[in-house]
Amino acid sequence: MQGLIDLVEKYFSISVIKEVLPYLLKGALFTVVFSAASEIIGIVIGLATSVVRVTRIKVLNQLAIVYVDLFRGTPLLMQIIFVYYALPYIGINLPATVAGIAALSINSGAYVTEIFRAGIESIDRGQMEAARSLGMSYIKAMRYIIIPQTIKRVLPPLTNEFVALIKDSSLLSVIAISELLRTAKEMMTWKLNPSSLTAAAILYLVITLPLTRYVSYMEEKLKRSGV
Amino acid sequence: MIEIVNLHKKFGTLEVLCGIDLKVNKGEVMVIIGPSGSGKSTLLRCVNLLEKPTSGQIFFAGEDITARKVNKNLVRQRLGMVFQSFNLFPHMTALGNVVIAPVQVLKMKKDEAEKKGIELLKKVGLTDKINVYPSQLSGGQKQRVAIARALAMNPEVMLFDEVTSALDPELVKEVLDVMKDLAKSGMTMLVVTHEMGFAREVGSHLIFMDEGLILEEGRAVDIFDNPRHVRTKAFLNAVL
Repeated sequence: MQGLIDLVEKYFSISVIKEVLPYLLKGALFTVVFSAASEIIGIVIGLATSVVRVTRIKVLNQLAIVYVDLFRGTPLLMQIIFVYYALPYIGINLPATVAGIAALSINSGAYVTEIFRAGIESIDRGQMEAARSLGMSYIKAMRYIIIPQTIKRVLPPLTNEFVALIKDSSLLSVIAISELLRTAKEMMTWKLNPSSLTAAAILYLVITLPLTRYVSYMEEKLKRSGV
Repeated sequence: MIEIVNLHKKFGTLEVLCGIDLKVNKGEVMVIIGPSGSGKSTLLRCVNLLEKPTSGQIFFAGEDITARKVNKNLVRQRLGMVFQSFNLFPHMTALGNVVIAPVQVLKMKKDEAEKKGIELLKKVGLTDKINVYPSQLSGGQKQRVAIARALAMNPEVMLFDEVTSALDPELVKEVLDVMKDLAKSGMTMLVVTHEMGFAREVGSHLIFMDEGLILEEGRAVDIFDNPRHVRTKAFLNAVL
């Protein structure tokens, strides 16, 4: 019984949470901004790389494969450390915020590449043939016929990837960016009470739950429309 | 209009077209019949450059379109193609499907393209389906939109690749009727089909293909009434 009381006092202290909440909300805002910026840049990188992948332009295709393998196959934490701590040795000094967004974007771009590639390849071959038979160039067929259909299909996996990115952005705490997790840890040291971690977990849920719900809704809708 | 000279097409080691020679004049409706696997569709797809011939030449309006320097996009603009599986763009309405190529390829003004698109959809009997998405259309309606979409580019020749094969039997007629009207209007057509009634009635010329070769060629009615090659006879006996 005493253990339970201690647990509540340590991890679910309402008074502590009330006190640290304004700071945590600021941290949450950072988390959202960093994740959203990285996701957007990641989508641009991923879309471009996926088109390179499906067109199979030899040299570029090989480079794209190396990029995807490298960034999907190594821990994001390591990538963040490299961008922030290793690049300065070759003269690339990035502020923590820029290094953080760069690492997250490049990492997310690798995942987005594979999402878009699978999406593009899932479009029936007849769509490309019909577009080409009307005299459209490959680029126009991609832009007006294939990519718009792909976007619909990749929205659910892309949102899932965004949710993962939001959680992964907590790794930015290692390069001293005051995102949600780091703020919570600082509050924990300040208050000598880890309830701020609980509050931060709830805030992560507040951010990610609408997104995961949206994915379920979209998947259901896509299933019904048969696109 | 179209002249095919000694056309060969191999997929790996499989030779699908083994030396095709064929001439289609302006205004002719050339019907291509034959058992499945005989190379009919491949022949049509070669004409539209969707397949690259292994050897041989295809002349379109005097120009060798199999030559390296040919701009395929320009050639395809002048050749309309309708597919067995419709291949409508599912993210666009019927009208959207019809106007996309004139607007993006021919740089036609949007309102002008839409006016023409509505006219074409009217012509194929789909006045009430202009703003409907393909998923809401029956197979026959989809195929008629696909025909309107191809016609929107003002093609000089129309290619039809087994366009009624994926349709429920009761929907075949509405599509064939559109094609008949088109033939009457003087459109040059190459039609791969299993619809023998249509082939006989609408085809001005007919070829019978088997195993990558043209075995018999002539006026459609003559071949139906008086097939000479033993394989043509066997095929017609089996399908009629």
